[in-house]
Amino acid sequence: MYFDWITWGIWSMGFIILVMWIIVPIKEFLKLKRERAAES
Amino acid sequence: MATIDIVIVLVFLGITFYIGSFFYRWVGDPDDFMVAGRKLTPFILAAVIAATNVNLYSFIGQAGVAYKHGIAILWQTWTGNMAIVFSGLFIIPIMRRLRIRTIPEFLEQRYDKRVRTLVGVLWIFRLAFWLGVVLYTAVVAAQAITGIESFAFWIFVFAFVAIVYTVLGGMWAIAFTDVIQFVFMLIGALIVLPMAMAAVGWMPGLIEKLPEHALTLVREEGTYNWKFILAIFLLGIQWASVDQGLLQRAFGAESTRTVAKGMVLAGIITTPFALLWNLPGLAASVLYPGLENADQAIPILLADMLPNVVLGLVLCGLISSQLSTISGNLNGVATLFTNDIYESLRKRKATSKEVLLIARVMTGIVGVFMIGFAFLVPKLGGAVEAYLTVIGIMDMPLFIVAIVYGLLWKRATSTAALVGYLAGAAAGIFGKFFLEFDFNSTTFLGAAVALIVTPLVSFISRPESEEKVAVVWRARQISDEEIESGQIYHIIPKTPRGRLSMLVFLSGLVLFLLGVFLGSGGYAIASWIAVIGMLVYFIGGLLRVYLE
Repeated sequence: MYFDWITWGIWSMGFIILVMWIIVPIKEFLKLKRERAAES
Repeated sequence: MATIDIVIVLVFLGITFYIGSFFYRWVGDPDDFMVAGRKLTPFILAAVIAATNVNLYSFIGQAGVAYKHGIAILWQTWTGNMAIVFSGLFIIPIMRRLRIRTIPEFLEQRYDKRVRTLVGVLWIFRLAFWLGVVLYTAVVAAQAITGIESFAFWIFVFAFVAIVYTVLGGMWAIAFTDVIQFVFMLIGALIVLPMAMAAVGWMPGLIEKLPEHALTLVREEGTYNWKFILAIFLLGIQWASVDQGLLQRAFGAESTRTVAKGMVLAGIITTPFALLWNLPGLAASVLYPGLENADQAIPILLADMLPNVVLGLVLCGLISSQLSTISGNLNGVATLFTNDIYESLRKRKATSKEVLLIARVMTGIVGVFMIGFAFLVPKLGGAVEAYLTVIGIMDMPLFIVAIVYGLLWKRATSTAALVGYLAGAAAGIFGKFFLEFDFNSTTFLGAAVALIVTPLVSFISRPESEEKVAVVWRARQISDEEIESGQIYHIIPKTPRGRLSMLVFLSGLVLFLLGVFLGSGGYAIASWIAVIGMLVYFIGGLLRVYLE
């Protein structure tokens, strides 16, 4: 079976960005929420 | 479109609406509403800017151009990303230090109230019109993909949800819904790319079936040739330096350093992302050749290839791209009005509560205008043409007076800025409608006139007071806020590592420009040099914000 390195390479970059932008913003949201709770 | 897809879309809209409205409780004052209390972190800021930068025009319009003219249209996004990085490193940090909310506010700090009010009023109309273009594109695409023809239904989907959560949660709601919408856009694009590429026999199939020019990035001839790349790069820098929708998000950053980091990250992550929607456009030209309207290429591909459920998910991605752009610009117009028009019309200073209320009411009113403008767009020759006409005429003169002369030349005066801006815009209108110039020539004409008129009038008008100019010039150095927080960012690097990263950045820029100029001679290697230059440029930008 043919494996298209170019297409899957581009796809992988997109996938890495997807995973990072799910995990990091959740962490940052929780941090902001904690800070707001502490302030109030 | 099956019932399950409609359910998926409705659930997605419900979640977006809930999350957006959740932030109502986070909004206590105008700064919360307009710039998220200036607390956005680099990764949130990057997703927010990327989501604003990507909309249905990218997925449908740009992929349609790839269908018709080939892959060279990628440069529209790539040069835009390079511009975001440039602006994030050199221009926006200065604005962030001035703690402003809008570009007109900067114009008053640098020039005077007349310039602020004029540009504020014109930009309210410009952004409201852009919102109409965005809404129109969304409705047309949704009708084609789903087969649901009702204009009113799609207006409800795109406009109502965005208006309500923006009114309630302001920039906080926009920031977090943007992050979710960015994720959905990526999911949609990641689903479509392999399916479209498999259908044409992957990359070798695509190369074999397409003419050579369709896969040439820097072209000697054609609409999207090397001159287009230079023009759009120049326009990109002005867009990333003065666009209210983009900048207002950037002003929400927690520090000057965060602005630079967030903007560099946003530029970099959208670069591979652009391939995810342009390659399916190329695949569509193999699968469905000869379409009369290239904008239909992606809707047809989606409707044809995607099974139920998957179609619903991809549709959520497409809706996301539009909601993020609509909500951000709605907030931008409301901020422009409240900040630059309403407060200056009042004899006494408005209370914080009053400003917040006016900003919310204005968001709703602008939403209604947006719907009205959406009906006007087809009468102006279609979405892309209408949008390019407006930015070609209005944006470049603003960039010249605000950024080029405002930040680089102390002798530029308020009267000169006013006359220079109006002369540049008038020249653009004359070029476009009387001389029938194309987009590139209109842009260059407006810029050239503003570039010449502003210094000429400056020399015959009274100079600005030294104290006034000094406030802006001081913002080029690190601020007390940065020293206190330890989040220091030097626009001109001070350390060997900083200087090295700057060298990498500039080498990338030179390589990129060399590649583009080589394209004018039709050299096959030009595309490679330009792309490598762009990558080196991004690496330099990344090192610049993370190493020093």
